[in-house]
Amino acid sequence: MRMAPHGLLAGALASALALVCLGCRAHQPARLFPPDAAVLRLALADDVPTLDPAAGYDTASWEFEQVLFDTLLRYASDSNELRPDLALSWEVSPDARVFVFHMRADARFTNGRPVTSADLRYSIERVLNPKTRSQGVQYFLPLLGAADFAAGRAAHARGIETPDPYTIIFRLDKPDPIFLHKLAMPFAAAVPKEVVERWGDDFARHAVGSGPFMLKEWLSGQRLVLIKNPHYFIPGRPKLDAIVALIGVNEELQWLKFEAGEIDVSSIPPAEFTYVMKTPRLKTLTIHHVTATTNYLGMNCRMAPFSDVRVRQAFNYAVNKQKLVAILNGRGVVARGVLPPGMPGYDPDIGGYPYDPAKARRLLEQAGVRAGFAPVVWLTADPTMMILGQSIQQDLALVGVDLLLKPVAWGPLLDAVREPRAVQLFLLGWGADFPDPQNFLEVLFSKAQWGANNDTFYSDPKVEELLAQASVVAEPARRYALYQQIQQLIVGDAPWVFLYHPVAYVIRQPWVRGIRLHPLRPARLDHIYLAPSVAPRGTAPSAADITP
Amino acid sequence: MRRAGPNWLEMVGGAIALSLVVLALFAPQIAPHDPTQAVAQTFGDPGPPSLAFPCGTDQLGRDVLSRLIYGARVSLIVGLSAMAVAMTVGVAAGLCAGFFGGWTEMVLMRITDVMLTLPGLLLAMAFVAILRPSLLSILLVISLVSWTGVARVVRAETLSMASRDFVLAARALGASAGRLMIRHVMPNIAPTVIVMAALSTSGTLLLDAGLSFLGLGVPPPTPSWGRMVEESQIYFRTAPWLAFFPGLAILYAVLGFNLLGYGFLRRRHTR
Repeated sequence: MRMAPHGLLAGALASALALVCLGCRAHQPARLFPPDAAVLRLALADDVPTLDPAAGYDTASWEFEQVLFDTLLRYASDSNELRPDLALSWEVSPDARVFVFHMRADARFTNGRPVTSADLRYSIERVLNPKTRSQGVQYFLPLLGAADFAAGRAAHARGIETPDPYTIIFRLDKPDPIFLHKLAMPFAAAVPKEVVERWGDDFARHAVGSGPFMLKEWLSGQRLVLIKNPHYFIPGRPKLDAIVALIGVNEELQWLKFEAGEIDVSSIPPAEFTYVMKTPRLKTLTIHHVTATTNYLGMNCRMAPFSDVRVRQAFNYAVNKQKLVAILNGRGVVARGVLPPGMPGYDPDIGGYPYDPAKARRLLEQAGVRAGFAPVVWLTADPTMMILGQSIQQDLALVGVDLLLKPVAWGPLLDAVREPRAVQLFLLGWGADFPDPQNFLEVLFSKAQWGANNDTFYSDPKVEELLAQASVVAEPARRYALYQQIQQLIVGDAPWVFLYHPVAYVIRQPWVRGIRLHPLRPARLDHIYLAPSVAPRGTAPSAADITP
Repeated sequence: MRRAGPNWLEMVGGAIALSLVVLALFAPQIAPHDPTQAVAQTFGDPGPPSLAFPCGTDQLGRDVLSRLIYGARVSLIVGLSAMAVAMTVGVAAGLCAGFFGGWTEMVLMRITDVMLTLPGLLLAMAFVAILRPSLLSILLVISLVSWTGVARVVRAETLSMASRDFVLAARALGASAGRLMIRHVMPNIAPTVIVMAALSTSGTLLLDAGLSFLGLGVPPPTPSWGRMVEESQIYFRTAPWLAFFPGLAILYAVLGFNLLGYGFLRRRHTR
């Protein structure tokens, strides 16, 4: 997923955080729920785009979808390891083409009906159906017969078999070692056919799943209320009785509400971050993790002088990445290659490019770049990015390059970098969709992605060959070794200045427990619980209150 | 007629304006450090004011004092040039409208009215967004939104002058419209124009700071006071001096030109 590389500001954190961050009126749950109910109060800046798992493809939607619905597999709360959800066990064929799942029999939709293998088949076929217009369709097209089904030539996708109500088998037309991860995306969540057909496009407003929570109320632009699913298949879960997310509360307002004790978890606005970190009482309440994201300065390999590898390497030596991380108040880890830490295939021994302006000057000289060279870097017009841009500007001035900053909006930036010869330099970020190196190395550096995600227009025959080899290797050690080899080649060719991996922060109230930030996904709300002993929760009503 | 000596408003305002001009002209000699490069390792953690860095250092390790001194350049160039352009356009429009009346006045004043209905900052933001920020575009945009007030005042003054006996006499002697405006009306409205010039300089300075604050000012690395305030927002609670000093600089400059303007105004009233 394409990331705006803000370090401090809202953006990069959005992946895991922005949506965890929430807030709502303290007395309001008390009115909706009994006084002793365990209600998690959140606030969101913007309305949730959708709660239909076939439609949502953003962190806000996923945050709530993943507690309303179940998939066969889910991630552990704070790692990329897959855990059973609707599945009890599974087998994968050695060639990574056949996947057999044995499902639990005690899962029920909140309308009372058991979740069966037919529901899962229906749910995935619904994503494949062009009428659903799901962005998840790309992940399931490798299923045998998926194209025929999508074209209306078959009643079912041949590649999904349901020999009995609690067994489901997937067959692919070619090996896909990361297919399990695709089944952990909300796109593959089980939805009840009868409810979907009853509401059609309005299913999002009447979402019924089998997850730990169920949708109680969704008032557009006002609030989203989820309540505990009393029949959830894991006894004792969830520990919360309800989640109330107030909508339309911007980051600054969230912070004020957090300080007033009116919300339980909040993001930290950039303007407050240094204050929080210098205030011990607040600092201990923060939670952070390194995101599976790499922020970088892209260099267009087809535009002179960046077509010369020496110039690209010189830029890598010239930029002081430690300084960038310091400017972000430590909210970043210096990047030495493409893959973020925690990603399978991450190579802790990769050398990267240490800060060495003298070497940078020599390389520029060898490449014939004269003092006064003034390339333009495109970046988002965001205060943090502008500061980082100025830091890079300072560094490059020391090697005789007069960098110009061109701040633009996010949309135009993405459009511009996709043009072959429009943008020499740009600051962007990339966050993983799956914990697999292919999701970085192939998506961002293969020639097939020119004009899509390979915005540096990098291409190398050896890299192409290895990418093709690696993509079908299922055995992890061999697969990751190949990807590490590919990464080495790419780092040597330096189409990016590898900058940093952002570190995301949220802050919780002292009584909030069990929050785990996930490297790829929004934090799971069903793992959160409230400590009963600490309860100085704000109760003052205010004029901004909304009555149910 | 006894001419009043300089009053205290003029003296203080003049001294402030002069000090700014000196700072701007001799910035490289006065500033202790390079305003764009890091001189202290205070990355992400701005350094407080100290003997070595009297106004502290910012999150990029730059010396705030040096940036303030260089910032006077942008502020003065933009403030004074935009004022000059705005005065030229405003005086010309106001004079023509007041002197000719009729359709000329109708057209010019309606244009002025339309411009006045739009908030200056908003209009300036729109123009800068179209033109892309640079010293020249900022200057033109600020002039463009600043001339209207001048035009209205000059028109009112011209109207009252144009019916005075000395103008009617000159007209009766066959003086051309141009001569009447330049030789007879202009000198008599000049004191008003000078007051307006001083006051509108503070207006253009503020508008420039406002645009910079919104990220639409002169692009980095050129130091500008408005951008310095904007960039220090993140540190408002932990390093308030970062915003305080550029804020003070803006106050100082605006106050200076306002005092000068009111000084001129008082001189006019006491003459």
